[in-house]
Amino acid sequence: MLEGIGIKTIDCIGNIGRFARFSGRTVTASMQTCLQPKTYPLIWAQMNTIGVHSVPVIMATGAFVGMILAVQAYDQLAGMGLEEHLGVLINIAVVKELGPVLAAVMLAGRVGGALTAELGTMNVTEQISAVRSMGTDPVKHLVAPRVLACLLLTPFLIIYADLLGIIGGCFVSVVHFGINSRAYWEFSARGVEMWDVLTGILKGFLFGGAIAGISCYKGFNCREGAQGVGEACTEAFVGSFISILAINFIFAVVAKAIYNTFWSIQPLL
Amino acid sequence: MKKQVQPDNGVIVVRDLVKKFNTQLVLDGISLAAEKGKTTVIIGPSGCGKTVLMKHMIVLERPSSGEVYFKSRRIDDMNERQLEKVRTQYGFLFQGSALFDSLSVYENIIFPIRQHHVITDWKAIDELVKSKLAMVGMDGFQTYYPANLSGGQKKRVALARAIAMNPHVILYDEPTTGLDPIRADIINELILKLQRELEVTSVVVTHDMNSAYKIGDRIIMLHEGKIIADGDAEHIRKHPHPAVQQFIHGRVSEEDLAALRLGGTKFKTQYTPEDFK
Ligand SMILES: Nc1ncnc2c1ncn2[C@@H]1O[C@H](COP(=O)(O)OP(=O)(O)OP(=O)(O)O)[C@@H](O)[C@H]1O
Ligand SMILES: [Mg+2]
Repeated sequence: MLEGIGIKTIDCIGNIGRFARFSGRTVTASMQTCLQPKTYPLIWAQMNTIGVHSVPVIMATGAFVGMILAVQAYDQLAGMGLEEHLGVLINIAVVKELGPVLAAVMLAGRVGGALTAELGTMNVTEQISAVRSMGTDPVKHLVAPRVLACLLLTPFLIIYADLLGIIGGCFVSVVHFGINSRAYWEFSARGVEMWDVLTGILKGFLFGGAIAGISCYKGFNCREGAQGVGEACTEAFVGSFISILAINFIFAVVAKAIYNTFWSIQPLL
Repeated sequence: MKKQVQPDNGVIVVRDLVKKFNTQLVLDGISLAAEKGKTTVIIGPSGCGKTVLMKHMIVLERPSSGEVYFKSRRIDDMNERQLEKVRTQYGFLFQGSALFDSLSVYENIIFPIRQHHVITDWKAIDELVKSKLAMVGMDGFQTYYPANLSGGQKKRVALARAIAMNPHVILYDEPTTGLDPIRADIINELILKLQRELEVTSVVVTHDMNSAYKIGDRIIMLHEGKIIADGDAEHIRKHPHPAVQQFIHGRVSEEDLAALRLGGTKFKTQYTPEDFK
């Protein structure tokens, strides 16, 4: 049993090492890609499949989050006669946490799964070897455009999710529960700061990079056969999901510290 | 009796190559040199490590021990960046074609060109693609996607892609497998033509002994991870090693079988010559 634990540990550390090396190569390749106009069409193509095609599902996700928050929170607040504060609650929750995280999870499923399956299939049918055999770096040709597209577009997708979340929450509150819309928006404006919106969107870069990086890594290293590709997709989704939550947590702690030191002294400056 | 090869004995030189996958020993001390302008054919039973050996020649696999040289430079210890330059001088035909299935035939063939040149004259590229496809009898299929091609057609497109950059070294992994006999012979002629006209150095893995005799200046037989025979067609035909005789005659006895079946065996529904009158 001890031996088993040992093997698992070595395996795990080896995996982390390989992923770190892969990430390093991806980062350098991505930076080179940015400087080579020749590869821009590849990035455009990926932006189209990763970003543009995700807009509808992301918008649906955002809208439902906003609406459900309104439905669930209304009773509590109305009991205390605070229903006009519903806007703050919904909008803060959507903009700071639920919008970005749920949009990222949605992307991990939609985009991450597709990336892993695509690269995994390319791997088992030797297409990645073929890229190498022609003197091209597969990380630069296949991974960098996908990571860049995902990294750059996730914040925009989060904006869509936020927007629809806000609209959805407002719709249910105002139309369904009959809250005064002026009061709803005024309390919201007082409660939600620019900082909240910004940090929510900035997280998107990290989420996007993590989703694409992990998914591509799993695709590149998947085992032979259909089962191998399937397993890689599962691992990629689980990996992306956990790292989204972990990044979210770390980001929240760091952002809070920054906020406390800088944003709060802003009025003094 | 181990033959010593030197890095300058050929364009591609492999020395004392050993390859293990986990505990499985696949190649056990292979030394060979592919000489400039010559076609070296590698034969051997299925699963004996021919593809693995060929991948080492372009360092898609790294040796467990031993060395690989290209134009007298050691390449097996280079990093991927350095290898990119070396690999542009190769053409590699994969056993399973390895066409990019998200790209059309046309895009597949210009892929290697696009990677290393800025294309300005698209007319010339169209012509080039046309001529390369015509060489393998696939002109007119430019807009097809690999999913819509048969296995043999894929192989021919992959061959066209391998020669798109006019490489001086071409590695063919079973170029004629899966093709009808006439096509197979056209591919043999193509390999000979490239060798004669462009002095291409080729390494060909094949099971097809007709093809091996026809195109091979030198035939090497692998068996259980070792080289057991090495020489020209005549030498191989007369080789005393039983494994070699068994391998090269395997095909003949199969033909004999087929002939027997034609002559003797009767099926209830079998056609007779009278039926066709
Ligand atoms: N990536 C790999 N991982 C583990 N084992 C491998 C790998 N590639 C090849 N092998 C093993 O190496 C051996 C030789 O394989 P190879 O593909 O070179 O055979 P081959 O001689 O080309 O056969 P064929 O004529 O059928 O193509 C096989 O037994 C295979 O199991
Ligand atoms: Mg093979």
